[in-house]
Amino acid sequence: MDNAGRRKFLVTLLAGGGAAAAAAAAWPLYRYLAPAGGGSAAAVVVIPENEVNEGQAKFFQYAGSAAVLVRKRGGELIALSAVCTHLGCIVQWVNEKQEFLCPCHAGLYSAEGAVLSGPPPKPLAPIPFKVAGGTIRVGEVA
Amino acid sequence: MKLFRQLVNWIDVRIGVGELVEKELTGYLLPRNINAWYSLGSILLTAFAIQVVTGILLLVYYVPDADKAFASVTAIMNNVPFGWLVRLLHAVGSNMMVLALLLHMLSVLWMGSYKRPRELNWLSGFILFNLVTGACLTGYLLPWSQLSFWATTVATNSVGAIPVVGGHLVEFLRGGKLVGAPTLGRFFALHVAVIPLIIGALVGAHLFLLQRIGVSSPPFGLDDTTNRWQGDVFRYESHPGGIPFVPNYLLQDLTSIFVYLACFLAVVFFDPYLFFPKEAFSPANPYLTPAHIKPEWYFLPNYQTLKIFPSELLGLAVQGVAMTLLALLPFLDRGGERHPLKRPLFRIGYVGGILLWLGLMVWGHYS
Repeated sequence: MDNAGRRKFLVTLLAGGGAAAAAAAAWPLYRYLAPAGGGSAAAVVVIPENEVNEGQAKFFQYAGSAAVLVRKRGGELIALSAVCTHLGCIVQWVNEKQEFLCPCHAGLYSAEGAVLSGPPPKPLAPIPFKVAGGTIRVGEVA
Repeated sequence: MKLFRQLVNWIDVRIGVGELVEKELTGYLLPRNINAWYSLGSILLTAFAIQVVTGILLLVYYVPDADKAFASVTAIMNNVPFGWLVRLLHAVGSNMMVLALLLHMLSVLWMGSYKRPRELNWLSGFILFNLVTGACLTGYLLPWSQLSFWATTVATNSVGAIPVVGGHLVEFLRGGKLVGAPTLGRFFALHVAVIPLIIGALVGAHLFLLQRIGVSSPPFGLDDTTNRWQGDVFRYESHPGGIPFVPNYLLQDLTSIFVYLACFLAVVFFDPYLFFPKEAFSPANPYLTPAHIKPEWYFLPNYQTLKIFPSELLGLAVQGVAMTLLALLPFLDRGGERHPLKRPLFRIGYVGGILLWLGLMVWGHYS
């Protein structure tokens, strides 16, 4: 092998080894800084039924994000993501109108999460839940 | 590769990188008899960089609150992915850095490189050593373990032996009469901001002095080993016909750094709790003093000296005198000879000093 060939081989070897070493150092660094997993399968939130009164809403943390339970006038229960689909603000429950309002850009949703007006492109995402033994188990399919 | 060359050329025509490389790297000549001990400075720069990076990473999860600090460190060790690695690199790294610093100072002493005109290099290095041990001491408290709490109690308490102002000084250091939440706040600020900033500035000054004065020649393998500095005007100590820093000595630097990393990582992976006594694993309890609390290995000689003397003030004074003499050594030792084998008095002091220091350390460990 001539000198130029040997030099090129060594440079390639060194660059390859360096890249492998950098990747080996970067992986722990990425894992260290990466956010902790939400644990979606195990994230079942149990709320006593009597904490959600008729016509009112209860906000809580679910799977690392904000969620809301609404008991409509008439008794129907709904669980939704409380994150506005426009720019990610948290919606507020307007008791008098029985609607959700996003205070950031005035997005308006119905109690079922459907877009009534404003910039939100999609309805609020529904969350499965089950009512059993006086508790609401959010995250479990009925 | 072509794109890379174009990029280098683009920068070169603007800021003259090639000229800089020629002057400071490939054209920077070192004495032909230079040895591996001269690479300890590069090892220390690497060690300091590791401490800074791992320290910043620890800040992501560490909570400097007396009620939460221990739990946050426990969470870093047990819950955060690779948190154990980051924390051990930082904790073991501090011990390895002190060891490398001691070796650097001992090699500088042995080769007589502290002598004029390099008094300021020695002095800045000596202050750096003290700052690094200060960083270690303040960092020791942060995990808020029994070891942290009581080692800091003992260390800060010794300042109380200073006449007149001692009591006030202890209280000022602790932020109260006893070690507590205010002490953690103070030590945290010192550890993550004040001391590293001063270390960074002094490292810059140390390197500036090295660059201005020039690298010293080792006294080995030369016929004339006397100090040739004349002291009339400033002269850069050049080494015509010497070996270039890049690539020749850079390879030595890299070899030494990898040897250091191998030793360092061997401790991290095979004996990670070498520097952790069992008190490091229980949370601080201000009402439960553990038996036989000992400082880190590099503070053991100081600890034992304080115990030997009947008065704490005398123990402190002896250490103060010893440290002052060492700091001012280049101003006191003004002889021209640099070869250690031609300096019997120096050799006695050097070997005797090391043996005394090691003896006190072992005594302190087993006492």
